[in-house]
Amino acid sequence: MKNTLLKTVVATALLSSSVYAHFQMLYTPNTALTKGETIVLKHVFTHPFSDEHTMDMAGVEEFYVINKEKKTDLKKDLKSIVFQGNHNSGKAYESSYKARKMGDHLFVMTPTPYFEKNEDIYIQQITKTIINVAGAPTDWDAELGLKAEIVPLTKPYAIWEGGSFTGIVKSHGKVVPFAEIEVEYLNRDVDMKNNKMGKSRVEAPQDSFITMTIKANKDGEFTFALPKAGFWGFCALGVGSDKEYKGKELSQDALIWVEAKPMK
Amino acid sequence: MKKIILSLALLSGSLFAHSAIMSCFDNGDGTVTCEGGFSDGSSASGVNFKLEQDGKAVFEAKMSEDSEVTFKKPSSGYTAVFDAGEGHQVFVKGSDITE
Repeated sequence: MKNTLLKTVVATALLSSSVYAHFQMLYTPNTALTKGETIVLKHVFTHPFSDEHTMDMAGVEEFYVINKEKKTDLKKDLKSIVFQGNHNSGKAYESSYKARKMGDHLFVMTPTPYFEKNEDIYIQQITKTIINVAGAPTDWDAELGLKAEIVPLTKPYAIWEGGSFTGIVKSHGKVVPFAEIEVEYLNRDVDMKNNKMGKSRVEAPQDSFITMTIKANKDGEFTFALPKAGFWGFCALGVGSDKEYKGKELSQDALIWVEAKPMK
Repeated sequence: MKKIILSLALLSGSLFAHSAIMSCFDNGDGTVTCEGGFSDGSSASGVNFKLEQDGKAVFEAKMSEDSEVTFKKPSSGYTAVFDAGEGHQVFVKGSDITE
């Protein structure tokens, strides 16, 4: 009996941990800049709503930015940091970038696959964050033909609180019908100076509100209304073309961050 | 003639339906670069640009193919003006332009 109980407890614990989804953050506090300035980005692999575990990033394969169709490699600008979550700390990165040119600056980061012991799989989230300088649109809707990609149909930096975001899930430019997409709210203030997560902003009434799972339609499109100002992550699971890494299953995901601004 | 009228109409349409935008930065070498654009993403190539001091134009140019103008930073106060026609002028004070 004891044994069965233990097994149930362990199974429940494993199940619960997979309920809260992993999200690769590529975070800067403001995605809509009024004029050019140097911005700081934090690259943290975490659970943005519940913050119950900060993962050690395994490294970064690629990190670059695109402005006015010009690609600039930024991998050399990454610096290792330790990021403090509310429950533990994890290996992460930071970078600074001179966002001087007007228009969109489309950041793309491909982390080295992370081994998730609980699920015995590797996870690699190809992550996009788009910032804009001064309001002139240039590259936000670019389709990059990535292995896993969410192409936005809404400017990810120009959404009012209560507005909606629409994107298309793609892999190598081809739509992924009925893709499963996890949605999470960054339920924290990020302490940029001390590399630390703040306290919860809101409480979830039940677990299905922590990681909200939606599905794309037959054309790979999805729309989601953003009820609260702040950052929202959309992660299409396992849509990438790479399915295996070091002899184990790989979930190659497409992630995009969008920011809703308060109406005040 | 018809073609000219049509293209003028289209041009006006694109100018008036969208707002004009300009962003400037100090290059740190005694020059300043201003970039112009429109909220719909259209190019500002060929749009008039000027620098004003005490309400007088002291420098005039047209935005380049890349919708940019680079100029020598005046020693005293000035205003950069992106002039895409009536209602579509953007003014940026020299004192607000940083590196």
